[in-house]
Formats: sequence, C-alpha cells, structure tokens
Amino acid sequence: MNIWRIAVKEMLVSRDVKMLLFMLATPVLLMLILGTVLSNAFSGSQAAGDIRVLYISESGVTADELAAQAEAKGVILEQASSGMEESLREVQDGSYTGFMMIKEAGIHYYGNSRSKLENGIVNGLLTGIAERSKLEATLTELPNEGGAAAAAGGNAGLVKETLLEGSPRPGAMDYFAIAVTTMSIFYYAATAGQLIDNERVRNTAARLLAAPVSKYEIFTGKVIGNVVLNTLFVAVVVFISKYMYDANWGSNMGLVFLVLISLIVFTISMGLAISYLIKGKAAGAVIMIIIQLACLFGGSYFQVVDNGDFISVMSRYSPLTWSNEALVGIIYGNDSGELFAASEAILLNIGISAALLAASIFIMRRREGL
Amino acid sequence: MNNVLQLKQLTKTYGDFAAVDQLSLSIKEGEIFGFLGANGAGKSTTIHMIASLIPITKGEIEVLGKNIVKNRRFAKSNIGIVPQEIAIYEDMTAYENVRFFAGLYGLRGALLKSRTEEALAFVGLDDKHRSFPRDFSGGMKRRLNIACAIAHRPKLIIMDEPTVGIDPQSRNYILESVKKLNAMGSTVIYTSHYMEEVEEICTRIAIIDHGKIIAEGTQAQLKSIITDQKTIGIEVRTMEGLNLEKLSGIAGVRSVEANEERREIRVSSDAEVNNLNRILKELLADGMEIRAVEERQPSLETVFLTLTGRSLRDN
Repeated sequence: MNIWRIAVKEMLVSRDVKMLLFMLATPVLLMLILGTVLSNAFSGSQAAGDIRVLYISESGVTADELAAQAEAKGVILEQASSGMEESLREVQDGSYTGFMMIKEAGIHYYGNSRSKLENGIVNGLLTGIAERSKLEATLTELPNEGGAAAAAGGNAGLVKETLLEGSPRPGAMDYFAIAVTTMSIFYYAATAGQLIDNERVRNTAARLLAAPVSKYEIFTGKVIGNVVLNTLFVAVVVFISKYMYDANWGSNMGLVFLVLISLIVFTISMGLAISYLIKGKAAGAVIMIIIQLACLFGGSYFQVVDNGDFISVMSRYSPLTWSNEALVGIIYGNDSGELFAASEAILLNIGISAALLAASIFIMRRREGL
Repeated sequence: MNNVLQLKQLTKTYGDFAAVDQLSLSIKEGEIFGFLGANGAGKSTTIHMIASLIPITKGEIEVLGKNIVKNRRFAKSNIGIVPQEIAIYEDMTAYENVRFFAGLYGLRGALLKSRTEEALAFVGLDDKHRSFPRDFSGGMKRRLNIACAIAHRPKLIIMDEPTVGIDPQSRNYILESVKKLNAMGSTVIYTSHYMEEVEEICTRIAIIDHGKIIAEGTQAQLKSIITDQKTIGIEVRTMEGLNLEKLSGIAGVRSVEANEERREIRVSSDAEVNNLNRILKELLADGMEIRAVEERQPSLETVFLTLTGRSLRDN
C-alpha cells in the first residue's frame, strides 16, 4: 500500500502545467518538423548510380553483351545465383531495383513499385537489349491495377514489365513518429537521475525515512510512479502522432506499448543507477552525454543505414536502435516476425534494467539515508 | 511516569571521530525536553538516530520500552519528526501533503481524512487545504511542516529548530502549539538556537557538547550549577564612548557584552567580588549616561556559556 501511495505522490508532484506542455509539445513538434523536412529521404528511391538489376537469361544473349549495354545506361546487372522466386523476393525487399527474365520470346522485367524513376531508366535498357538481340516474341498483355503492372512504352511487343509491390516501409512521418517517441522516452533518464536527489534537496528524504516505510518501498514506489507517469505521456504522444499526423503504428498496439514501456523502465533504471554511481551534479552531465550519443547513434535525428561505417557500427549499441528496430518489425513485419522483434527488445531492455536497478539498490543499502 | 525514550550509551562514529559519545538519557512521558548544543555538538546526529534516519554505531535506543532496532516500525509509528529544514512538497496542496505523510503511518479512509483535517486546523491552516505551499509565507510553511509530523498522533514529537527564519507572530503560534501538543499527551523533544524559547517551554533540559551530555535537569537545577557568578545589566542612554576592554580588565569581570539595540551592557562577574562601583565609575568616566542598573540571576545562556565555553549561536 505504501508503494502505491509513493507512486501516486510521484504523479501528484508532477502536475506542473508548463512542464507537462513542454514534455508533450517537444516530441510532437519535432515529429512534425523532421517528418516534413526529411520526407524526401524516405521516398524509397535509390540514387541513379545504384541501380542494381538481377537477371536470368534463357536466350542466346551473352553476359558480355548485356554488361556492355547496361554500363552505357549506368545500370549494374548481376546474374541471379538463386532462382526466380528468390530473386523476386530480393526485389520486393528493396535489395535490387528489379529482376529480368530474358527468353527468346522476349524479356519480362519485374521492377520494385517504389523505384519508379529507376524503372524508367531500366526500361530504356530493356528496349535496347530486345532490339539488338532480335528477340521475337510479342508480349502485349499487361496487368491492370496498381501494384501490379505498367506498360513499357513503345517496345511493348518485346518487353513485358511487371511492378512488384515492395515490402512496406515507413515513410518519413512514420519513421520519426517512432524515432522521436523513443528519443523522448530516453530523455526521461535525465529526470530519473534526479528522482532520489530531489527528495534530498526538498528535505523530504528525512521525513520519508522517518515514517514506517522501508527504503525499498520508497525506491519501488518512485520507480513505479514514474513508469506510469511516463507511459501516460508516451501514450498521448503516440496517439497524437497516429491521429494528427497519420503516422503508422501498425495494428498491434499492445505489443508496441510493451516495447515502449520496457524502454521507459530501461531509461528510468539507467538514470537512477547513474545517479547512485556518480554523486552530485556530475551524474546529470553523464546522463545527458549518454542520452545524446544514444539518440545520435540510435537514429533519432536521421535514419542510420547499415553500411559498415563508424555510426552504423556504434548504432548497434544504442538501446534506441534495438527498440526502434523492434517497433518497425512489429508495425511492418509479419505475425511471427513481430513477436520475435518485440520479445528480443523487451528482454534486452528489462534484463539491463534489472541489472541497473540491482546496482542502485546495492549502493542504496550501503548508504545512510536514501 | 514511564520513559517514552531511553538512550543507553549511544554512540555514533565516523571513522575515528565520535559525533555522539556514549550518551545516556531518559525522557519521561509528558515532558517538553530541551536539547541544547552548539552546531556540531552531536544534537542532530542523536536526533537522527532516534528517528532511525541513520544507523547506531553502539548503544541502544528504546522508544516506549522497545528497542528501536528490533522494533523499527513500532518505533517509527510512535515518533513524529519536524525536521530543521522545511520538508514538504511544494507541488502538492497543503491537504495532500499532510494526507500523504499521515497515510505512510497506516491511517486509512475516514480516519485519515479526519486526522488530516485536524492537523491542518491545529496549525491554523484549515482554510488553506487546496493551496500550494509554494504560495505560503515562511511561517505558514513551518506550520505545515509541523502538521505533517503530528497527523498520526505520535507519542513522541521531535522538533528540530522549528522556528528558524520566521516572524515573531508565527514563532509564538508554534510555541503555543508545542504547549498544546504537550497538554494533549505528546512528549516533545525541542531543540532551538533561541535560548528564550527553551526557557519558555521546556520542563527539562540537556546540554550536549562534543557528543556528550554535560548537564541535565530543570531550568532551576541548571542555573544552580552557576553559584559563583553574577550578571549585571546596565542600561545606558547611548553606547557612544563604550570601552569594553577597560570593563573586561576590572577585577572579577569574566565577560562583557553590549546590546546596541536595547542599549544595554551585560557584565558577567565573579559573585564574590564586589566590583559594581568600579564598573559604574568607569562608565561615568567615559561620559556615559546610566539609566538603570540591575543584578540578575544567571540565565540559561550564562549556564550554557560557562559549561561549553561558547555561545549557543556560535558556529
């Protein structure tokens, strides 16, 4: 009962209207700004120099002929090592711009629906190959509706183009709804670092300890109170982004919130542990440095692409990376994938939190006072 | 009368330094017990050990006959502490503050509500239930500080300098409150830097210095310790021309203090030396106009000064 009373007290002392508005307005505005300004970075297109196309040739057209023509158009052609099915999957997940099946009868090109510009460039290449190779067949039938297909200009007789529906990916607003929400959660570590210190500064630590309440009850009550309070904040931020900005949070909101809550527990535990490990104002400085680095490497300000550079290597160690990836997995993955992504992130967050809380309790036990 | 509190050879050390050194003391039911000591004397450390805020190095504390280490919750439930610093939540209303702390002592439902209201009424804040302490004056905050400590009706109330930094009106209110709490059955431990407060309300007093109790008893008993000393109060028209060094050099004079505000010179002297004429003669020779002369009984301040060698307000 005392734990609950202390938890409720934590919520009551946070009724500062100005602070509440600031805590809500910051992530909501940041989402809007980043989601709008950086929308081009999320169009799903690749740069023209990066057009990579897989092919399987069952005609007399040789690899050298193809390579020569592709080079002239700035397209990288790669012979598919696996079968057609696997190649189409690689196109759908965005690893390649397209796949072409070259037969004597003609060429069937399968392009990713998100790469419209690149498909246009490839289209020019296809016409050249078909004409030079004197492919005979006429392929005139084209699929009708979206996702399905589009005609391939004036060479429709020799080339059939099918647009494959690319795997769903977050747009700018979808991405920053996730990234800014998790970033704002990470900032709770700064306030968590002052949870115990505030009781000392307000002199209420003595009064709490003089009451028939154990240190553990005080500690647990404060943690629970702040987890509940921050969860409410996060819920408001998530629903604002969902209904005002139309951000995609997927259909499994329960799992999304489980990951977010596990991250809240993580950040509060981290703030508390650092405030116990490092006494005084230095703790606040250390927490802020960790927050900034975690946000930078965790993709809060820009999407980190895993291309082996320093930032992408460091990003693996940011709690925001694994939490954000889990959320993307839940929102855009299939049923089995989303459960795996969520459980991995939740276990990591809660596991590390348990270790951090244990360290805090160990130090608290040795201390006089809180 | 039963002992509400008993300290047995109580010791607290930090490394080689003994903040409290084998201190023994008994406080009986119904007393207002004054705890006097200069800063660093060990007074707060003792209070913190009684309130279970810090662990005991050696010795024993009994509250209502029970060892506090073995009966921690029982002891805490029967003690109410008014800390020296104001210990309230500025972002919770006065009512929420008292209710929260009283709730920690196990009060629930209707009883919690009525005790919260009673405590606020007791300190004169019954019309401020919904007000936030951040809008309160220093005196009102001090009163709320007390309300938070008494709502659970503790048998023993520890008040650590409850009147620091407040106006005379609030101070009188608090002193009257202490007397009322005592009349209602609570035993009070009261510490203060204001000797006149201790003289006004305390039934028994202990003087602590270097972690040890050096004197203990009623005011009369403590004053009787100083039988070889007298205090002479001399009221003058103006302090201009006063030469303290010359007065200090007169035979038998132990100390001379000048109170500019009250235009009074206070001379502590050996009781057996008849030096009043000489003191007056020196003052007149310096051109001072004497308005009144009074020989006084030693005050608690004098007792404290004599026993500890320093004033209560010395740092």
